[in-house]
Amino acid sequence: MLDRRIQELESGSLARIRSARSPDDLEAIRVELFGRRDGAFTLIGKEMGRLKPDERRRIGLLLNAAKRNLEEALDLKKRQFADAELSARLDAEWIDLTLPAPGPRRGHLHPMTQIQRELEELFVSLGFTVLDGPEVETEYHNFDALNIPATHPARDAQDTFWLENGLLLRTHTSPVQVRGMEKLGPPLRMIAPGRAFRNETVDASHEHTFYQLEGMMVDRDVSVAHLLYFMRTLLAAIFKREVEVRLRPGYFPFVEPGFELDIRCVICGGTGCAVCKQNGWVELLPCGLVHPNVLSMSGIDPEQWNGFAFGLGLTRLAMMRHAIDDIRLLQGNDLRFLEQF
Amino acid sequence: MKFSYNWIREFVEGLNCAPSALEKLITMKTAECERIELAGALLDRACAARIEAVEPIDNSVNVKAVVDAGRYGRKTVVSGAPNCRAGLITVYVPVAKKKIHGVESDGMLASGFELGINRDHSGLLEVDLQEGTALAGCVPDSIIEIDNKSITHRPDLWGHLGMAREVAAILGDRLRDPVRMDLLPRGAPAIKVQIEDFDRCPRYSALVCENVTVRPAPLWLQYRLSAIGLNPINNIVDVTNYVMSELAQPMHAFDADLLQGDTIFIRPANPAERFRALNEQEYTLDPSNLVIADAAGPIALGGVIGGLDSAISGKTRRVVLESANFLGSSVRKTSAAIKLRTDASMRFEKAQDPANTVRGISRAIELLRELSPGIRIVGGVADQKRDIPARPPIDLPLDWLERKLGRAVDPAEVRRILERLAFGVVESRPQVFSVSVPSWRATKDISIKDDLVEEVGRMVGYDSVVPQAPLVPSAVPHDNRERRFQHQARQIFADQGFTEVYNYSFLSEDVVRVFGLDPATHVRVTNPIAVDQALLRASLVPGLWTNIAENRKHRDAFRLFEIGFEIHKRAEGLPDEIPHLAATLYDRHGDGVDALFEAKRAAECLLPGARACPAEARPFEHPARAADVTWRGETVGRLFELHPSLVGTGRAVVLDVDLRSIERLATFETKYTPIRRYPSSAFDLSVIADLREPAGQLEATIASLAGPLTESIHFVRNYTGPPLAVAQKSVTFRLTVGSPERTLSSDEVGEIRERIIQGLRQLGYQLRV
Ligand SMILES: [Zn+2]
Repeated sequence: MLDRRIQELESGSLARIRSARSPDDLEAIRVELFGRRDGAFTLIGKEMGRLKPDERRRIGLLLNAAKRNLEEALDLKKRQFADAELSARLDAEWIDLTLPAPGPRRGHLHPMTQIQRELEELFVSLGFTVLDGPEVETEYHNFDALNIPATHPARDAQDTFWLENGLLLRTHTSPVQVRGMEKLGPPLRMIAPGRAFRNETVDASHEHTFYQLEGMMVDRDVSVAHLLYFMRTLLAAIFKREVEVRLRPGYFPFVEPGFELDIRCVICGGTGCAVCKQNGWVELLPCGLVHPNVLSMSGIDPEQWNGFAFGLGLTRLAMMRHAIDDIRLLQGNDLRFLEQF
Repeated sequence: MKFSYNWIREFVEGLNCAPSALEKLITMKTAECERIELAGALLDRACAARIEAVEPIDNSVNVKAVVDAGRYGRKTVVSGAPNCRAGLITVYVPVAKKKIHGVESDGMLASGFELGINRDHSGLLEVDLQEGTALAGCVPDSIIEIDNKSITHRPDLWGHLGMAREVAAILGDRLRDPVRMDLLPRGAPAIKVQIEDFDRCPRYSALVCENVTVRPAPLWLQYRLSAIGLNPINNIVDVTNYVMSELAQPMHAFDADLLQGDTIFIRPANPAERFRALNEQEYTLDPSNLVIADAAGPIALGGVIGGLDSAISGKTRRVVLESANFLGSSVRKTSAAIKLRTDASMRFEKAQDPANTVRGISRAIELLRELSPGIRIVGGVADQKRDIPARPPIDLPLDWLERKLGRAVDPAEVRRILERLAFGVVESRPQVFSVSVPSWRATKDISIKDDLVEEVGRMVGYDSVVPQAPLVPSAVPHDNRERRFQHQARQIFADQGFTEVYNYSFLSEDVVRVFGLDPATHVRVTNPIAVDQALLRASLVPGLWTNIAENRKHRDAFRLFEIGFEIHKRAEGLPDEIPHLAATLYDRHGDGVDALFEAKRAAECLLPGARACPAEARPFEHPARAADVTWRGETVGRLFELHPSLVGTGRAVVLDVDLRSIERLATFETKYTPIRRYPSSAFDLSVIADLREPAGQLEATIASLAGPLTESIHFVRNYTGPPLAVAQKSVTFRLTVGSPERTLSSDEVGEIRERIIQGLRQLGYQLRV
């Protein structure tokens, strides 16, 4: 008799558990079945007390099996409810990831900074020291020590901003050569990137403030072939490919012989365009072997040591790299320009 | 400097290199060519033509002319020239037919200007030629323009002969020298020359000519001068310009009858001496200027310009030709002082060859005989000069040459190159050439063996040098910590949303005053490009301020920064250049608060542990929002909102830090401290304080009371409102305490807490517990 009741209770309850609609339904069923005072199993347990021991054992086994089955079914259903609830909760947390992230966007480094940094890293890897020099210079460092005495016509070509006390704004980064030789002594390899100034009216291709990178190597028996080697290595790294270069005579009082180094126009490949003024070559950097006067003025014996020097126009380089057609943009500080880099 | 291809060709025998090819060769081996222009394009087909009849055209100032154009036949052309009259012989050019005022013009009649012969465009060129004949010596020419900067060191390249010598050397052709020294007259000079300053005038040669006829120079010569940019004037003046353009020797002609006395003096100007120049300007001179003078006063400013009072005119019958040599630096100084650069001064500045003076005179004699028939030379050449000792030859060791160039050059080729450029070459010792320098290269250009490397290098061609890595020990370069730190700072700020700007180093006085600074404390440019760029910046902030004004036209909110030098005047020597980083945040709709804390956060990214210490505001700062930025116990910068009246719409916040101090305080070595092994305890404290009492100060007070077991004190929140009084706030801090040696008992923690509370109460604070 109890057998049947247990069986019916089990099958009936299983069906109810399966069709339960909420965790509350499930809890009500659980209390009905297992409530301590009047849960169905509690009541059956009480009735079992009246059975004979053999019968009681048998029924007890049946009862435990049914209880286990129902507990499992309750747990399963409970987990299903929990899973469904979690899914629903998470689903409600849907978010539109196409919306922009809050907070400021990353800022932009000036194109001149970028190119300068790249070159500094490159030269450091070639064993060059990066030196700084002041923007305000003495006449001695800017001119005399570079073999440009006061009477030299080359001074005319460098429209100088003069300051009080005979000081000036450096017209090139070359004075750092002199400071470098004074500071480091031979042998040396150095570069000096920085700002230089010429008293020129500003237009699309002229600036009174521009950026150069001065370079110098002093050692035993430095030759034109070595200069060419470094320049080609440098330019290949800048333009990320082999660049055809040519040296032609150029006059700069602090080098002898002096050169203008041209590169095959990277814009048109040499067929002629506006950037190269239709001749296929772009004048990129003046260079040469250091004039013995410059060495001796900085206390280096030109019979023992010699070297090369070059001045790379960073402004020109940045313009070429980014196809910038108006030099004023570089110091116009317009975010619409700067944010492109 | 412009060079006529046809002129060069006169001196280079058998020149058969086209102008465009020649231009490239000159660029690669001598000096930079800027462009080639065609001169006298119309001359190709131009011929003399007689105007037979002229008829007016209705409603037009132009006339219809019928001309006999020789081989071109009879043509009807329209001309607007005032001198278009029947019987005139002018120049006809068969250009394409076109209708002008309803009349078909078959070709054109040309002015000297249109033909490129001279600058006269007032009427048709009048010629004295048979109809149909071409203009002798006037054919199209290619004008090669050389960058003046690339020949500053080459006095000889300021004349066609010098360039022709280069061309001949490059091509291996023979050079023809146009100067015939046998034309120089011998005998006593008809004028005396007295040089009082041989340093500034090493040589002065002069010659007197009489029976001179002043008239226009022949067309071929006018054309030569016009084609290279000179203005034809009259036969005498044109001859001096022609010789200058040919031999690089500037010359001058005086009207001899207008000179006082029989002697030309070359002397320093007297103080405040006045001089009227050919350009009709009057100059006040001083002894730094060298003058050419007669008995009455200056007749020319040495090496720069002639005088108006002794100028050649239609009435001139006798002339004194001057061909002199002046010290380059002195000419340059005078020319700069009076702000007058002339064709003569440009050449003398480059240190011309004293040997060239008499060459100029002999060439002028030859030309004057052709241009002023009947001219008579009076006496010999007056020629005062200082002895100019020839420079000793330069030793050129051939192995050294090879080491310098980085390639070997056959000794025979070295010799050939140098000799073609007129150097004397003797092999004084084995493998050593003793090289003597021609006078026109010896003044300044070539004095050491390094100069000869260039001569050989450029002629063999630098493209023949094979790039080669040097054999030097590899070495780690010296570190540049300052610069590395600056690059780090740049990256940090860019990562925090700041975009980098580059401002000029110049500021205007007005801007400096806006920022409450004294212009007198700034370094001043004595020749500024504009009045508003006369001072050097002693702060980066004004630059950012202008960047805000520009950029807010296009953006509502943005962040900018710059790294650059503040330049501070010092009593002696170079100014102090201090690298600074200045950053700004602008927001049109902001109230400045978020921006201030963003700036502070950015500062902490650069300087972990930096503090803002409220400080008295400067005039351009928001009076209640300014602080010093301190780091490692030193003030290293400033954090503030720009005074809203300087900004107008919106708010702008500035952070300005001194990178030099920061770099000095920075430590690049970190030493590890053990991680604590025992748990620590935390508790909160809420202190009631005056609204404007800085939380940082409260924190410092708590820290001093907390004792050595404090691990950290963190700000948690600020509270204002009930039940607090209006001028009060409650600031909550979380304290963490612990010991590296053991776990603190709750009693010990309680004791610390109690100590702080008691301490604060004694200082007059209340606590919310
Ligand atoms: Zn190109």
